Amino acid sequence: MSATGSAGKLLGAAALVGLCGAAATYLVETPTRFWTNYLIWFLFLLTVGLGTLFMVALEYLVGSVWSVPVRRVPERLASFTLVAGPLALFGLLSLKVIYPWTQAGAAANPVLAGKAVWLNVPFFAARVVLCLCLWAASYWLLVGGSFKQDQTRDPAITVRSKRFAPFFMAIFAYSVTVVAFDWISSLEPEWYSDIFGVYLFAGSFIAGLAASVLALFYLVGKGRLREVRSDHYYNLGGLLFGFTIFWSYIGFAQYMLIWYANMPEEVSWYRLRVQGDWAPVALILAAVHFVIPFFALVSSRAKNDPTRLKRVAVLALFAHLLDLYWMVYPTLGRGPMPGWPELSFALLFLGGGLLWARQSMGHGADLPVGDPFLKQGLEFRL
Amino acid sequence: MAEAPFAVLGLYPTAQALTDAVPKLKLAGFDGLEAYTPYPIHRLDEVLGLKKTPLGFLVLGMGLVGTASALGLEWFADAVDYPFIVGGKALFSWQAFVPVMFEVTVLFATFTAGLAMLFVLNKLPFFGHPVLASKSIAAITCDRFALSIERGEGGEKPIDVAAARRALEATGAESVEVVGDPAAADTTGAYAPFTPRDAVKAALMIAVACAVAGAGMYAAVKVVLTVPPITHIQNQPKLNAQRASTFFADGSGMRLPVAGTVARGHLPYPFKSPEEAEAALANPLPRTAAVLEKGRREYADHCGVCHGSIGNGEPSLSSAYGGKPANLVSATFRGYSDARLYHVITVGKNAMPSYAADLAEDERWAVVHYLRALQRSQNARDEDVR
Repeated sequence: MSATGSAGKLLGAAALVGLCGAAATYLVETPTRFWTNYLIWFLFLLTVGLGTLFMVALEYLVGSVWSVPVRRVPERLASFTLVAGPLALFGLLSLKVIYPWTQAGAAANPVLAGKAVWLNVPFFAARVVLCLCLWAASYWLLVGGSFKQDQTRDPAITVRSKRFAPFFMAIFAYSVTVVAFDWISSLEPEWYSDIFGVYLFAGSFIAGLAASVLALFYLVGKGRLREVRSDHYYNLGGLLFGFTIFWSYIGFAQYMLIWYANMPEEVSWYRLRVQGDWAPVALILAAVHFVIPFFALVSSRAKNDPTRLKRVAVLALFAHLLDLYWMVYPTLGRGPMPGWPELSFALLFLGGGLLWARQSMGHGADLPVGDPFLKQGLEFRL
Repeated sequence: MAEAPFAVLGLYPTAQALTDAVPKLKLAGFDGLEAYTPYPIHRLDEVLGLKKTPLGFLVLGMGLVGTASALGLEWFADAVDYPFIVGGKALFSWQAFVPVMFEVTVLFATFTAGLAMLFVLNKLPFFGHPVLASKSIAAITCDRFALSIERGEGGEKPIDVAAARRALEATGAESVEVVGDPAAADTTGAYAPFTPRDAVKAALMIAVACAVAGAGMYAAVKVVLTVPPITHIQNQPKLNAQRASTFFADGSGMRLPVAGTVARGHLPYPFKSPEEAEAALANPLPRTAAVLEKGRREYADHCGVCHGSIGNGEPSLSSAYGGKPANLVSATFRGYSDARLYHVITVGKNAMPSYAADLAEDERWAVVHYLRALQRSQNARDEDVR
C-alpha cells in the first residue's frame, strides 16, 4: 500500500513540477509555444478518452461477448472524455494566439475569407460545446449505465446501450472529424484533406486500445481481473495489430494522393513535415506507428503474450503522441527537438493523466457484474 | 481386415469430451492419436502435441518476397530499363510503387497460404484415406468428434484392438469402430479409394479433351475462315489507294491532279534558300492576342515536344531520344528574321523535317510571332518587369 502511495506522490510531484514549467513557458517563452504544447496534450488525453469510449460502444454495436469481461477497463478510461471538457474550454483561449484565421490579416486572405463561415470564434466555440455535450451524454448513457447495472443487474440497460450504440457511431464520426478539422487542420487553414478525420480516428482507436491493454495488465499485476484469460488478450492484440495497419493505410493514402497530385495548396502541409528538420520525425513515426508494431504482433503467439502486448502498447501510445506532435508542432516554426517547455508539459499531463487513470481504476467493480453476457464472455475461448 | 487394422476410432458427442479424452489416452500409453472433427477446434493441436505449423512463416516470408519482387520490378522497369518521366516525378518514386508492392505482397501471401496448406501441409494430391471409407465418416462430417488410435505412417507398430477399444470407451466414446487397412478393404470392394492410377486416367482424359478442343479451335480459325463464302467479305471489287487497279489505263488506283493545276490555298513554296525567302516575304499577320494564342497552341502541338515548352531546346523528352534540338531563344535565333524562321518551318533544317503539311501558312506565321514572345520572355529587360 505504501508503494502505491509513494508512486502516487511521485506522479503528483511530477505533475506539479510540470505545472510550474508550463507556467514558466507562458511567461518566459512565448504564449504560442505554451498553447501548441497544450493543444498536443489536450488532444492526447481526448483521443485516449474517445478511443476507449468507441471501444465500449463498438461492443454494444456488434454484440461481441468476448469483450464483456474486459469492458470495465475502457469504461474507466473513457472518463478522459470528461476530463477533456474543461481542458477544451480552457483551450478556447488559444484560438486568438495560434490559429491564423483569427489573426488580423485573415479577412484580406481570399481563402480564409471564403472559410470564415466555418472558421470563426463563436461557431468554433459552439461546435466545441456541442461535442462536449454529445460526449458527456454518450458517456452517461453507455458507461454510466454500465456502472449503474452493477447494482441494479437490470438487463434493460444493456438493451438501451445496444440501441444507442448506432447513434453513438454517428456522433463519434461527426465529433472526431470536427476535432481533426477544427483543432488540428485549421492550424494551417489553407490546407485541407477529406480523410483527415478518419486519420485521427485511426490514431484514437489505437490510443484507446493501447491504454486499455496497459491498464488491464496493471490490474492483472495487482492480482485483479484474474478471470480474464489469454483468449481475451489475443483479441485485444488482434485489434491493436489490425488498427496499426489501418492507421498506416489511411496515413499513406492521404500522403500518396497529395504527393501524386502535387497541388501547391495541398503539398504545403507535407513539405513542412516530411522535408528538412521534420523528415527524421516522419521516418521515426513510420517505424514506431507501423513497422515495429507490425512485426512485433504479426505472429499468432505474440498477440496473447502479456510482455509483448505491454511493450507494443507503450510503443503505440508513444507513436500516437508523436503523431500529434508531428501534426501540430511544425506550425510553431521550430525544429522537432523538444526543450524544457515540452518536457514540462509531458510531466504535467503524464503525471496528471496517470493519476486520473489510476484513481479511475477503483471506479465500480472490476467486472461488469450486472451484464447479462458476462458469463458467456468469461467462458469465451478462441 | 481385423488382423491389420489401420485405426481404432471412437466417436465423442462434444468437442470438450474429445479434448478431455486426449490426455487420458496419452497417459494410458497410446500415441499416434489423430482427431477428425466437423470444424477446427482451437488448442486441439496443442493438446494432441502436434508440431506448430510453419504456415505463418511461409506466408510472412513469401509476403516479403512479394514486396521485394514488386519493388524490384518497378525499379527495373521505371528507373533502369525504360526511364520515362511521368508527371514530373523522379524515376524511382517509391511512393507510387507502394500500392503495387502492397498488392503483390497480398497476392504472394494468399497464394502461399492456400497452396502451401493444400499441397505441402495437407499432402495433396491425396489419394484417399481409410477414415473416409469408415462408417463413422457420415457422423464426423455432421455433429460427432472422432479420436482415432492409428498405426502410424510406417505401420511398424500394430494396434492392440481390444485395449484401444476399452480405452476409448472408458474416456467417454459413444461408439468405437475398427477402421480396416486400405489394401485389405480394396479386395472386399467395401470402398474404392482414388488411386494414383485413377489420377493418371483423369489426367489423360483432360489431356485428350484439351487436344480435341484445341484442334477444333484451330480448324475453325485456320480452315473455316479461309473458304468461301466467308472470304467474300475480303475479296470485293473496289479501288484501293496505293494498290494496282485494272480500272484505269495507267494500272494505278490513285489519280494524279490535272497537269498545270494546284489545290486552293496550296501554292507551291518557291524559295530554295533562306535568302530568297527573306528577300520576298514579310510576316502578314498583326501581333494581336488572338494570333499569339493561335501561335501558342500550334507551338505546343508541333514544336514544344522537341524545342521545349519555353523554346530553350530542353524538353522532358530529349534525354529519351538523345537528339539536341535548337535553343530557339538563343542569340542566333533572336537574330533570325521572321521570314527566315518561316522558311525553316516550311522546308525543315538538319534533323527537323518540313512542317508544311502540318501547319497552314497563317499558322506558321502565328508560330513565328509566338516565338518572338518566347524569346522576349527568356531575355527580359529590366523595364519588362516594371
